[in-house]
Amino acid sequence: MINLKVNNLRKHFGGLQVLKGVNFEINGPELIGLIGPNGAGKTTLTNILDGAIKPNSGTVYLNGERIDQYKPYQVALTGLGRTFQVTRSFRRMTVLENLYVPALAVGEEQNRAVVHNKAMEVLEFLTIDHLRNDFAQALSGGQQKLLELGRLLMLDPDVIVLDEPFAGVHPKLMEVIYEYIRRVNNDGKAIVIISHQMDAIFNLAKRLLVLNYGDMIADGPPDEVKNDPAVIEAYLGVDEDEKEEMAGAQ
Amino acid sequence: MGKQHVPTLFGTFLLLFFAAFPFLYSAGDYDYVMHVIIIAFYYAILASSWSLLAGYAGQFSFGHMGFMGIGAYTTALLLHYIHFAPEPTNLCSEFNIGGTWMIFDNPVGVTSTSLGQSCFTQALEIWNGSVPVTGVPVWIGIILGTIMGGIAGLLIGLLVLRLRAAYLALFTLGFAEILKATISAEIEFTRGQAGLETPALFENGITLFGHFYSRTDKLPPYFVFFFLLLLCLGVLWWLTRSKFGLFVRALREDQEAAAALGVNTTRYKVLVFMVTTMMAAAAGAVQAHYVGIVTPNALFLLQMSLVVAMAVIGGVENFFAAAVGAILIQFVLEMLRNSFTIGPVTIDMTIWRLVIFGIILMLTLRFTRNGLIAPIIEYFQRGHVAAETVAKRTAATAETGVQG
Repeated sequence: MINLKVNNLRKHFGGLQVLKGVNFEINGPELIGLIGPNGAGKTTLTNILDGAIKPNSGTVYLNGERIDQYKPYQVALTGLGRTFQVTRSFRRMTVLENLYVPALAVGEEQNRAVVHNKAMEVLEFLTIDHLRNDFAQALSGGQQKLLELGRLLMLDPDVIVLDEPFAGVHPKLMEVIYEYIRRVNNDGKAIVIISHQMDAIFNLAKRLLVLNYGDMIADGPPDEVKNDPAVIEAYLGVDEDEKEEMAGAQ
Repeated sequence: MGKQHVPTLFGTFLLLFFAAFPFLYSAGDYDYVMHVIIIAFYYAILASSWSLLAGYAGQFSFGHMGFMGIGAYTTALLLHYIHFAPEPTNLCSEFNIGGTWMIFDNPVGVTSTSLGQSCFTQALEIWNGSVPVTGVPVWIGIILGTIMGGIAGLLIGLLVLRLRAAYLALFTLGFAEILKATISAEIEFTRGQAGLETPALFENGITLFGHFYSRTDKLPPYFVFFFLLLLCLGVLWWLTRSKFGLFVRALREDQEAAAALGVNTTRYKVLVFMVTTMMAAAAGAVQAHYVGIVTPNALFLLQMSLVVAMAVIGGVENFFAAAVGAILIQFVLEMLRNSFTIGPVTIDMTIWRLVIFGIILMLTLRFTRNGLIAPIIEYFQRGHVAAETVAKRTAATAETGVQG
C-alpha cells in the first residue's frame, strides 16, 4: 500500500517563508492535483519531496521510510519520481539511452535485452518509438515531455510528481499524456499533477491540494475545493464586482 | 558489411599498422621516428583519458597534467630515495624487513656543497661495491605512481563535487599550478628545476623476439607505450559501453535530472576523476622512465593546453577520436619543425608551428564543435539514423496527423 506522509513541512529562503507547515497524506494510488498561484510554493514542495532541497523542519515518509534527508537518487530509488517544470532530457543522448538511465540505475544487474524491450514498449505507448535512435535534442518540446514521462515509467516509482506536464504541448500529444496518467494510475501508482491548466486538472484529479503562499488552504474533491471561498479568493481571485458587493453589504 | 563497421575496420588497421611498424620501418632516422611515435602514444593516453573526463562526463579539469606529474614524481622519488641492501648503512633511516634492509636516503638538494653528501652515497663509498644494493623495481614505481594518481584524483574529485564549468576548470588549474610550484620550491627534496633522474624502463636491457635490446633501444619502450595505450583504450571502451558510460554522460547533460532518476551522481563524478587520473598518472610514470628525468616543466600549463587541444581537435566526445587526434597532431607538430625560405624571407617554424596549431584549434572550435575525427566516426556509425527517422516520422505523421 502506497503511503506518502508529509508532516508540518517548513522551508524559508532567507526571510522569505515559502512553506509554512504543510501537511498532507497520500494513501494508495490516488490521482491528485496540486494547484496554487505563482509563488505558492508548489515547486519548492516538489523539490523537498524529491530531495533536491532540504526542509528547515518537518518530515516526509514514503511507505514508512523517512526520506526528507535523503539525496535525490536515494529518494528516486525509494520510490518517488518526478518530472521538471522545464523539460530536462539528456539532450546529447539518444531517446533509448534516456530510457536506459533510470532502468539501469534501479536494477544493479538488469539484462540489457529486458531493459531494451521494456524501453521499446514505453516508446510505443508514448508514440515516439520511431525516434528511438535520435538524440533527444532533435525532439520537439512535446515529444521531450513524453520522453520525460517515459523515463519515469522505466524508473517505476510508487509516487509520481508531474510538474506542469501539459505546458506547451500540442492537443493531440496532450491526449497521449492524459492516457499516460490514467494508465499509470490504474497500474497502481499515486500521481501528483502540478499544473496551471485547470481544465486538465479538473478532468483528471480525484483530489485537489491548494497551496497559497506556503499554506495548504484546501484539500478535498475537486467540486468541493472549487467552491471553497478561501480557494476562490486566493487562487481564482475574487471578482471586482463581487468585492464591491461584499463591501456594500458590510 | 555496413558502413557503420568502417570505424572498427580503421581502428583494426591502425592497431596492426602500429604493431608492425617497428619491424617494417628501417630508415636512417629510425630512432627519431620511433621516439616521435612513443611521444604520440604518451599524448594519446593523456588526450583519450581527458576526453572521458571532459567529453563524456562534462568535467572540464585542467589538472590532468598535475596527475600525470604525481605519477611521474611518485616513481621518481621512490626510486631515488628507497634502496635495499643485506647490511645496514648505519647512516640512514633504515628498517630490517625479513633480513633485507630498507634504506631511506636523506634529501640533500642540488647545491655543490651538498652533492655527494647523502647518507646512501656515503654508504656506497664506504662499501665500495662489497655490498650488493638494489633499488625499487621500475614496475613497482609505475604501479605505485598510478595508484597515487588515483588517490589524488579521488580526493580532488571529492573536493570539486559542487563545482561546475569555469569554477571546476579554475580549481583544477590551481591544483596543477600549486603542485608545480611546490615541486619547484622543494628543491632539497625534489631537486626543483634540476629534476630527478630515473632509471630506464629496462635498465639492464631486455631480450625480445630472440634479440637483445639495450636500455637506449627504442623498440622496448615503444611496445610498453603501445600496450599501455591499448590497455587504456580497452578500459575506456569497456567503461563507455557499460552503465558507467551511460551515467557519466547523463551527468554531463543534466546532473539534477540524472539524480532524480536514481543515478548516484556523487559516486560517478568521483569515479570518473579517479579512473582518468590513474591513466594520466600511469602515462606520467612510464614517461618518467622513458625520458630518464622528471622536472616540473612537464606540468606547465602549455603541456595541459596541448593535451586539451589534441582532444578537442580529435573530438572530445569520443575517446578514440581524441587518441587518434593526439597521434596526428604530434606528427604534424614534428613535421612543422622544418623551417623554410620563401625568397628573402626565412620562416622559422619552431615558432610558427605553434601559430598554425593555434589556428587549427580555433577553426575546429568555431566550425566543428566535436573535433575533426569524431564527426567522421559519427557519420559512419549514425549516418543512417537521420534517414530512418525521417521515413518513420513521415509514416507516423501520415497515420496520426501529429508532428509533436
